Amino acid sequence: MARYGMALDYKNCINCKACEVACKEENGVLLGADKHRIWVGQNEMKGQWPNLDIANAAFLPSQCQHCDNAPCQSVCPTHATYYDENHVVRVDVDKCILCSYCMNACPYDARYVDDRTMTVDKCTFCSDTRLARGETTTACQNTCPTKVRTFGDLDDPNSEISILLKTREHFSLKSHLGTKPKLFYLT
Amino acid sequence: MCIKDFLASIPIKKVGIKELLTPDNKLVGLIGIILLITYLLGAFIALTHGHHAYGVTREHPWGLLIVMYIFFVGTSTGLAIIGSFGHIFGIKIFNGFGLRVSFLAIAMLLPGFAIILLEIGHPVTMMIYNMLSPNLTSAIWWMGTFYTFVLVFLILEFIFGLAGDHKTSRLLGIGGLVADVAAFSTLGSIFGYLVARPIVNGPFLPIYFILTATVAGAFLIFLVYGIKYKNNFPEDKKAMLTTLAKILGLLLVILMFFDFWAIVTGLYGRLPERADTIMYILSTKTYWIGEILMGTVIPFAIILLSKGKNLGALVWASFFGLVGIFFMRYDMVHNAQAFPMQTMKVHEYQLAPSIVEYTPSNTEWMIALGAIGLAILIYQVGTKLFDLDAQDDHH
Repeated sequence: MARYGMALDYKNCINCKACEVACKEENGVLLGADKHRIWVGQNEMKGQWPNLDIANAAFLPSQCQHCDNAPCQSVCPTHATYYDENHVVRVDVDKCILCSYCMNACPYDARYVDDRTMTVDKCTFCSDTRLARGETTTACQNTCPTKVRTFGDLDDPNSEISILLKTREHFSLKSHLGTKPKLFYLT
Repeated sequence: MCIKDFLASIPIKKVGIKELLTPDNKLVGLIGIILLITYLLGAFIALTHGHHAYGVTREHPWGLLIVMYIFFVGTSTGLAIIGSFGHIFGIKIFNGFGLRVSFLAIAMLLPGFAIILLEIGHPVTMMIYNMLSPNLTSAIWWMGTFYTFVLVFLILEFIFGLAGDHKTSRLLGIGGLVADVAAFSTLGSIFGYLVARPIVNGPFLPIYFILTATVAGAFLIFLVYGIKYKNNFPEDKKAMLTTLAKILGLLLVILMFFDFWAIVTGLYGRLPERADTIMYILSTKTYWIGEILMGTVIPFAIILLSKGKNLGALVWASFFGLVGIFFMRYDMVHNAQAFPMQTMKVHEYQLAPSIVEYTPSNTEWMIALGAIGLAILIYQVGTKLFDLDAQDDHH
């Protein structure tokens, strides 16, 4: 039993989108669901040459935040959204009724409809693909050329992610909502 | 008395085909059937294409069907509330609503269910797992459960009322009223619980829903009575509707009060997201023309100028009022989702998202308008089969 999370050294992101491609390949994301399961957000660089605001122009890779207090889980009428044994927020396709409440409740827009099952899908930290095969990395982490992503067990004090979070300042997205995301952006 | 005897004691009118073929009936029947066919066509497209037939997107997952569902079940709740004035609270002047309003509440509830059945992607799964795997922290679960009770209570209340058992009918009516208010305010809380969306998060919507439901119920009563009596109201009905008009006037003032403070407190302090959405709302025609003018100002002005006595004008005002209520539901659902949850751009050569747009698809319109036909047909069949004025004076 682990408590999986991900740290993102987002300032290293070069917006190559390899993570998006790897995710699609690994999890069989259909065409058309572009930027749905995982995406890289970007801010336009502001100002005029030579007074450019470089700090503003960061890339922000994002996906499901795997909140410890996930709004999508508490609003789901049939427990189709649940926490698995590794505290990963998952969807049970057999129980999903496609009421779309979770899509509205998610503060991160991290849920989408999978056209194959016509149920709501989302990032699973590759739980039913790579982790199920015994691997210890997610597809997006494994492929990232600038090592933006560190995936691991937050409950293990010696894991790479735990050490990173103890030694580097970090923030979470929309933390004021009390959702307790398990995606941490390193500053 | 066994069930068989009880069922036999329910008075059902025997009507011949010839009696039914009046010009009025033919017109209403034709409109109803055309709309019903529209609904069935829409349902067919929805069942064969799923949510692809709707204009909803990942960013805007709820659309016109949710709007119409809220419109129908809300109006039904309003009818149950107004029906309770005489039936449950014993206010004599309202005894005349009797069975007609009680049946109207059912006739509005069923089309609501017919719509939500097509909005939910897997309704059968819903029925199974709502029972096998209930999530008690989910407002949708509670709403669904409450509405099951509402349907049972309303139908039984009506049947017992029709059979002349007023004591049982009143007790069932109390159950129906409590379940109905619980159900529709829970529907408001579905939005109220959305912590990520400051425009709807909080206690406002469950309360606003009950207020606007009562307003919608009153509008529909004026419309239905207006069509029934063709502006030639009997004295008792005139007294009843004039009193209801005064209550409606008060409710509309309260609604204006709600609207005003919702806008002003939403803008004050320029809180990001909330104030941005309010600015967007203020820029839409649906808000000013639909909600404010048609839904509030016109009906209120007519009540004020005629002191509630010009019932003919009120019937027209109620028609606009119901269109206004539709826009209130539409705007509430759309505005809740208007501010994007991700404000960074994810594609090159594209602007960052500002407001999420939504346009209902043809299929959604077909189902939405078709459900109105369903309501008309259910009500019309009811008026032919049951004597809806029978118990008016009995309380």
